[in-house]
Amino acid sequence: MAALKVYKSSAFTYGWLTVASAIFFAPLVFVVSIALSSDQTVASGSFSLIPTEFQWDNFVRIFQTQQPVGNFVLNSVIISVFATVGQVFSSALVGYAFARLRAKGKNITFMIVLATMMIPAQITMIPQFILFKELGWINTFLPLIIPNFFGNAYNIFLIRQFVSRLPLEMDEAAMVDGLGYFGIFRRIVLPMMTPVLMAIAIFTLTFTWGDFMGPLIYINDDTKMPLALGVQLLTSTSQELQTPPWNLVMVGTVFLSLPMIIIYYFGQKYMYEMNITTGSAGVK
Amino acid sequence: MSVLQKPTSAPGPAPAREAPNPRKARPSAMRRKEARFFWLFISPWIIGFVVFLLGPMLASIYLSFTDWDSFTDPNWVGVANYVRLFTEDEIFHKSLWNTFYFAFFSVPLGMAIALFLAALLNKQMKGRKLFRTLVYLPHLVPIVAVALIFQMVLAPDSGPLNRFLAVFGIDGPAWLFESDWVKPAIILLSLWQAGGATVLLLAGMKGIPQEFYEAAEIDGASGIRQFWSITFPQLTPIIFFNLIMGIIGAFQVFAQVYILTQGGPDNASQMVVPLLFNEAFRNYRMGYASAISWVLFLIVMALTVLAFATSRKWVFYETEVKN
Repeated sequence: MAALKVYKSSAFTYGWLTVASAIFFAPLVFVVSIALSSDQTVASGSFSLIPTEFQWDNFVRIFQTQQPVGNFVLNSVIISVFATVGQVFSSALVGYAFARLRAKGKNITFMIVLATMMIPAQITMIPQFILFKELGWINTFLPLIIPNFFGNAYNIFLIRQFVSRLPLEMDEAAMVDGLGYFGIFRRIVLPMMTPVLMAIAIFTLTFTWGDFMGPLIYINDDTKMPLALGVQLLTSTSQELQTPPWNLVMVGTVFLSLPMIIIYYFGQKYMYEMNITTGSAGVK
Repeated sequence: MSVLQKPTSAPGPAPAREAPNPRKARPSAMRRKEARFFWLFISPWIIGFVVFLLGPMLASIYLSFTDWDSFTDPNWVGVANYVRLFTEDEIFHKSLWNTFYFAFFSVPLGMAIALFLAALLNKQMKGRKLFRTLVYLPHLVPIVAVALIFQMVLAPDSGPLNRFLAVFGIDGPAWLFESDWVKPAIILLSLWQAGGATVLLLAGMKGIPQEFYEAAEIDGASGIRQFWSITFPQLTPIIFFNLIMGIIGAFQVFAQVYILTQGGPDNASQMVVPLLFNEAFRNYRMGYASAISWVLFLIVMALTVLAFATSRKWVFYETEVKN
């Protein structure tokens, strides 16, 4: 009896999981299928769900279109890397101070940090645009990079929670040895922060890489666009009734998505580590 | 956003500081030095707060009471923008309705799917990791790519969804091109990424003490009964957090609409943020767009407060029992 029950429940589980993961995975298979199809197939619109053609040269041809796809990729890399470096260092410094240093007014300041998390970005979007316009930063990467050098409430919160759980003994020993606050931060605390910093780096990288609205507001020149903004230009055609080169567009979406999947694959270790450490504050 | 565990309970002071101060009492000069370093270290945040948040917020309040094209001087018009928003602008009303519609369906449905998948995956079984990855993958795809992918998936004649429906003799709609079906289509697109929360819920399920299930097993509770009596109540803090984040996210939906429909057909998919974007950066009505952003802010705030207020009824925090 008992054995039968287990068998039945696992058939149920496997059945549902197979159906669900097939549904979730199918669009990705379809993307690959379109990306590898020939121009004739695109023109007739007769794509198959499972790849039947393998036009690998689409992955080269995408760089030979009227759109500067090579620039798109390079711009995305530049913007994401600088944004991530800025975010990690500024949030680490601020988060450390909130976790370890004592000062009058610290708690109220921290409350303000938390409160800012609730403000939607759209509120500040227009004045920020005016500000960057006045600074002459329109059509540069600066509006997409520089704000990251001033920390972000959510990241600061994460770091503060993480550092609060680190043992104090090392700090105190270093202080006795005459290391200043910055020395303690850089030599003692920063190396111990690796998991949380990796997690924040992955967040920032993923957000910046995929951000659409920011570049849409600030970047006008094709050659300065990141991939997330540029890729949809591939769908625009010179003539009204022409079919967009869907195979190349899907190659673009592969370029846009694959780095995120790779980063997740190598970074999940840190993300799960964070799960455990913040878990006691969060989940339970 | 991610698999990272987000905080659900209101954060108190840092735990290390709650215990009696382990350090020896030090001269006040040292304390003053420590305080100076504190302000020095958080100065990036303070500067960012003033320049990128507080300043712009104040400017935005002011602008919402003006008529401004961003080239000439702003004209003070009092509450005229708000009056027009609520009494005249039918496209705004429609976009507000559409956004509520989108949030009302996409957030709970996405949560239900994530919970169902997590319940299935929370077992010792072969291929668990593979299934978990397959379900999670869509969440990693940037929204622009999602939009372009679904433009193909939802294509009326050649798209795989309608061809699949045709197998069952269903004549699929033209999705993005029909005003009755464009909102369900955009909801469908967001549900495709619902697996993101599954990883979060699984992490939460791992933290539920095994004894609960053992006790339930002895009492003869069925698997479904165990889910509703143990798993679900234990997960409510995560569900609650995801609910709020989901609502906030749903109200800020932008790229899908902008890329796929531009709000059409007949404004059936126009939503608040795409409308705000158009007013500000296409029509250069900065004052009017600022007013829209404040209405959006108040709605998001009200919904968050509502979610918090009702949470006491159904969110179970273990600490409430323990401590």
